[in-house]
Amino acid sequence: MSILKLQNVSYTYDGYTKVLNGLNYEFEKGKVYAVVGRSGAGKTTLLSLLSGLTSPSEGRILFDDKDVQKIDRYQYRSRYVGVVFQQYNLLPHLSAVENVELSMRASGKKFKDKRKRATELLDEVDLDDSLAKRRVLKLSGGEQQRVAIARALSFDPDILLADEPTGNLDLATQEEVMDIFSRLAHEKDKCVIVVSHSPEVAASVDEVYELASLGKSKKQRAGNEGKR
Amino acid sequence: MLVIINALKSISRSKGRNILIGIIVLAIAASSCVALAIRNAAREAEAAGLELVSITGTISVNRQMMMSSLQGGTFEGGIPDMGSMRETMSLYQDLSLAELLSYAQSEYVKDFYYSSSISLNAGGELEAYSTESSSNGSGNSQIPGSSGNNQFPGGMGSQGGMRPGSIIGSIAMGDFTVTGYSSEDAMTKFINGVAKITDGSMFNIGSSSMDCLISYELAVFNGLSVGDTIRLANPNAEDETYDLTIVGIYTDTSSSESSNMMRFSTSMDPANLIIVSYGTLQSIIDHSVAVAVTETSGEYGFESSTALNGQLSSTFVFSSRENYESFGEELYKKGLSDYYSLTSSDINNYEASLTPLKNLSTFAVMLLLIVLAVGALILVVINVFNIRERKYEVGVLTAIGIKKGKVALQFVTELLCVTLIAIVIGAGVGAAVSVPISNNLLSAQIEQMETQAVSQEQNFGRPGASGGMDFAQGGQRPSGMIDVFGSGAQADVTYLDKINATVNFQILGQLVGIGIILTLISSLAAVVFVMRYEPLKILANRT
Repeated sequence: MSILKLQNVSYTYDGYTKVLNGLNYEFEKGKVYAVVGRSGAGKTTLLSLLSGLTSPSEGRILFDDKDVQKIDRYQYRSRYVGVVFQQYNLLPHLSAVENVELSMRASGKKFKDKRKRATELLDEVDLDDSLAKRRVLKLSGGEQQRVAIARALSFDPDILLADEPTGNLDLATQEEVMDIFSRLAHEKDKCVIVVSHSPEVAASVDEVYELASLGKSKKQRAGNEGKR
Repeated sequence: MLVIINALKSISRSKGRNILIGIIVLAIAASSCVALAIRNAAREAEAAGLELVSITGTISVNRQMMMSSLQGGTFEGGIPDMGSMRETMSLYQDLSLAELLSYAQSEYVKDFYYSSSISLNAGGELEAYSTESSSNGSGNSQIPGSSGNNQFPGGMGSQGGMRPGSIIGSIAMGDFTVTGYSSEDAMTKFINGVAKITDGSMFNIGSSSMDCLISYELAVFNGLSVGDTIRLANPNAEDETYDLTIVGIYTDTSSSESSNMMRFSTSMDPANLIIVSYGTLQSIIDHSVAVAVTETSGEYGFESSTALNGQLSSTFVFSSRENYESFGEELYKKGLSDYYSLTSSDINNYEASLTPLKNLSTFAVMLLLIVLAVGALILVVINVFNIRERKYEVGVLTAIGIKKGKVALQFVTELLCVTLIAIVIGAGVGAAVSVPISNNLLSAQIEQMETQAVSQEQNFGRPGASGGMDFAQGGQRPSGMIDVFGSGAQADVTYLDKINATVNFQILGQLVGIGIILTLISSLAAVVFVMRYEPLKILANRT
């Protein structure tokens, strides 16, 4: 059964520039999805819609058959959806482990030992203890990306959304991260959605949605997307 | 919990910003603390002073009111009818002892005492104490401008309690002032410690035996001691004499201090004050009236009598200011004319003594308001800049699902923590400096007022007036001169020159209140900002 459903979703910004048009996607638990497309195809916009950070111009997004627009979207983001942002969006004055703990605290869920869980998660994405205690500001791009991944996983969300999560990672770490995503979906029955332009990522997932670029034309091109 | 943890982390991680805010709040808190302490001290001094001082009051003729109402009654703005005015004024003379005693029955009056003074000459060997060689013991002192006649031809009303009958009593100036007191409480000099019996003892205040107290100076000057008898004479009739037995000799510190003051006559020198009981004085007056000779002066047409005329000075004592005020109202209800008024030099003097402190308090409150306004403005500006800098943080926090309200609350909490810490330190600094600062400011105020007073005195041709100001604190009667004419002398004041501007819990509470208000005002900007922005917009702008 699908946990997240797009019903005829379109998105227009600035009042006239349409980036997404009539999307009908379904995402299920226990699977890893990839959304691919060229730059400007609206991948990040789709991710913002799925995470409840913005609302569709047309259509509905359903989470557990409930319209995301009508539920508490702060609670939705803090408890049910973990997001790995393309720009990581970590708090620079906090350490890596504190950033992870913050999300756990924001979720309002109970965890036995937040510090321990955060350290373990960071260790899983190859950030050792000394790096974990460092302020995010002093970490490299790749290290920050891994903190962002650990943070998205920290509060045990039902859905994991990741925007180019492997963009700054070397091939080995990239594979490790995809392994983690895969285990999450297959062993813990989570729904993982990865937005990427990487063919390697696309090759390692269960299902791929391809976003076609609408370009600058305002013409509506219905049915320009489909399962591959 | 989330809010508090985030706030504390944020404070500890952004020290520079918080120290800056802290310093500003500290400055505001310290100056507010001093201002509040001064204001508080002024209030307490006012309240405490009026509670402790037992209030004394006198009933006197309100001439200004009488004159203004008479003026209004005759011609508007024109020349007043002098004849009718004189007539009215002679109707409303000072109240008699009997009238005063009936008013004193009031429940508001705690105590009532009175004294009466007459002026007598030496009747024998006795010589009045004087530092001037020209003065002699037997001759009457000349009053300047009285053209050699030592009798006032009536008309000269006194505030203190002279009550001429239909026959105008003469007031010849003798060499001695004999004052009879109704109660020991009336002997203010002995009550407040200016005067003290050093030899012999006090006479029975209730008796009319011819006992008296004389000053140490007078005793030494005439070689008198306790047990001796002195003879005094009516200045209007030299053969009318009275013998008084000295039962005690007292020292009066005010007499030495005031020895350099210009005097009307030797009888005004405190050294020439002879103290008797009211009963004794009354028996002298009664005798004098009985043997009096009345004559009509052909030149002026005035009738004058040789009878001695006591000048009554009465004092009502009240336990509180409320009672004083209630008594004032009650007097009019009992039918006292509007031309009389109840006045209290205690209250007037005490209020006057507080003037520098009140000025300082007003100044302190103004300072407080300015500091608060400027401080609030600075804090708002700093906060707005802060929040703009922290836009990204707002975006991240809301993006991971923390509600805007909580983010705003976190920012307010941060500011509140910093403000409270700064206020605690500021209160400490303020407490340490408020006493010296406020006393310095106060002494500057007093100096200014005294300079003003001295220059005024000098304008009236009274050099050295500042040296003569030695009046006891809390509104006691001026003691440099015997107050023959009631409270005729200009009342001077000892200003309250030390305040205890301590910081108490009330002030701390007020400071915390100020801190909370400042925090709320300045963080309003933060709240508005946080509430207005969408997380995605903030994050998108950054990318």
